[in-house]
Amino acid sequence: MVEQILEALTYPPIQRAVLACILCGASCALLSVFVVLMRMPLIGVSMSHAAFAGAVVGMLLDVNPFLSGFILCLLTAAVLGPLSDRTDIAPENLLGILLSFLMGIAFLGMGILTKTKAGALNLMWGSLLTLSGGDLAVLAIVTGILAGFVILFFKEIRAVLFNRRLAASGGVPERLIYYALLFLTGAVVSSNLATVGGLLIFALLVQPGATAMQLTYNLKSFFCISTASGILACVLGLVVSYFFDIPSGASVILVSTLLFTLAFVFSPKRRTTTLKKRKPSYENESR
Amino acid sequence: MMQDILTLNHVTVRKQKSLLLSGIDLCVAQNDFVGVIGPNGAGKTTLLNVIGGFEKFTGDLFLFGKTETWRRSRRTRLRVGYVPQHLQIDPGFPILAVEAVITGAIGRVGLFRKTGKPERKEALRLMDMMRVAHLADRPLGQLSGGEKQKVSLARAILQKPDILLLDEPTANLDIAVQKEVLNLIDEISEREDLTILYVTHDFNMLPSRMGRAVMLKDSVKYFDGGIREALTGDMLSRLFEYPLETFERNGRRFVSYG
Repeated sequence: MVEQILEALTYPPIQRAVLACILCGASCALLSVFVVLMRMPLIGVSMSHAAFAGAVVGMLLDVNPFLSGFILCLLTAAVLGPLSDRTDIAPENLLGILLSFLMGIAFLGMGILTKTKAGALNLMWGSLLTLSGGDLAVLAIVTGILAGFVILFFKEIRAVLFNRRLAASGGVPERLIYYALLFLTGAVVSSNLATVGGLLIFALLVQPGATAMQLTYNLKSFFCISTASGILACVLGLVVSYFFDIPSGASVILVSTLLFTLAFVFSPKRRTTTLKKRKPSYENESR
Repeated sequence: MMQDILTLNHVTVRKQKSLLLSGIDLCVAQNDFVGVIGPNGAGKTTLLNVIGGFEKFTGDLFLFGKTETWRRSRRTRLRVGYVPQHLQIDPGFPILAVEAVITGAIGRVGLFRKTGKPERKEALRLMDMMRVAHLADRPLGQLSGGEKQKVSLARAILQKPDILLLDEPTANLDIAVQKEVLNLIDEISEREDLTILYVTHDFNMLPSRMGRAVMLKDSVKYFDGGIREALTGDMLSRLFEYPLETFERNGRRFVSYG
C-alpha cells in the first residue's frame, strides 16, 4: 500500500491534491480554534452557507464563484459582527433566520441554474482531486495570512479568546482582532468551497478545535494539535477516498470525526476533572 | 485639595425605549473609595459600563481631565481597570491562572511585543498578594468562584490602573470567601494608589475603607454622601422600598432585614 501511495504521488494531480489537503486542513483547523473557544459554531456555519450561496449566485451571473462567495461572506460578517456586540437580542434566533435565508438563496440559484448542475454540486461537496492551480494559489495565500495573523497577534488573541470585554478594558484592540477574525473566516470558508465544499466544511470548522479541547490546557499546543488533526484528517481522508473510490469530502469528514472520537475517549482532561469531582474539597464547594 | 479625576455631567443612557440612566452628575476625586448602591435595575452596572467605556451615552464624561466617549484610546483604557461580577470560563479552556493574570499587561506591552519575565514576575507577586500564587499553573477554568475572583483582581491590578471598577465582585461567593475577597479589596485600596468604584446591593458586605456612597434608584441619583449617612434605616428603607433597620455592634453598622 505504501508503494501504491508513493507511486500515486508522482502524478501532478495527486501532488496538487495532497497540497490542497494540507492547506485546507491547516486553514480550517486554525479557524476552528476560534470557532470552538469563542463558542461561535453558528457563525461558522452561517459563513459557510453564505459562501455556498454566494458561489451559486456567482455561477448564475458568470462571476468567479470564489469572489462572489467571499463577498456574500463579508456581507454576512458585516451583519453578524455588530449583532454579536448587542446583548439585547438573542443572536441564535437571528442566525437561524440568516442561515435558512442563505440556504434558500443557494437552492433557488441551483433551481434556476440551467447549465450543468455538476459545478454547483461540487461547491456543496467539494473535490480535492480536481482543483485548479488558481484554487490552490488562493487557498495558499489565505492560509498564509491566517497563520501570520495567529503568530503576530498571539498574545492579543489569547486575551480576546479568554474574555472579550476584559481584553477591551485592558487596552487590547479587541474589536480589530474580532473583525479581522470574521474577515478571515469569510476568506477561509470561501476559498475552501472547492476543496471540501460549503456543507462539509462546517465539520472541519469545529472538529479539529474540539479535538484539541480534549487534549490540552496550553493555547499554543491547542493551535498545534488542532492544525495537526485538521491536516491529518484531510490527508488520511484523501488516501481513503483514493483507495476506496469514495467522495473525498465525505471521507475527510469521517476521518476527522474518528480523530475527535479518539481524542474524546482518551482525553486526559476529562480524567482529571472526574477525579476531582469524586473528591470534593472546601474550595470546590464554593464554585 | 484632591483633584477630580472623574466627572460626569448629566449622563444619560437610553436603550430602545427604556431609560437606564437619567441625568447623572458625579465627581470622583483621586483615591476616593465610592460604593455604588441601589436595588436591581437601578442602573448601577450601566453607570460602571459608562465609566469603563462599554456603553454609549449622552452627556459629558471627563476622565483624567479629558472629555471621553465610549470609544477610548488604548492609553485611557489602560488607566481604568475592570473586575466583572463573575468570570465566565469553560472548565476546559486552555489558559492557566497566571496566563490569565498576564493578559492584564498585554495592552501596556503593546502590539508586536512579547510579554516576558518582568510581567510574569509582577503577575506572581500580585497573585501572592491575593493568596492565589499556589494556583498559578492550574487551568483557570478549574478554580473555584472565589479563586477566579482573586485571579480577576490580580489581572486588573497588573494593568496598573488609576481607577478600578468592581461590579459586585462578591456576588455568588459563600460568606467566608466574600469576607476574604472584601479584605483583599481593602488591602488593594491601602497599598496601591487607586480610586475605586464598587457596585453592590449587599450593604452588610462592604469594604471597610469605603468612605462614600452613591445611591441609585430608578435610573437617577438618589443620594451622594458619606457612607454613615447613607446606611441609615430610613434612607435604605426608602431606597429599597422595604422596611430596613440598622444597628451597631463593635463599632460597625449592620442592616437588619426585619
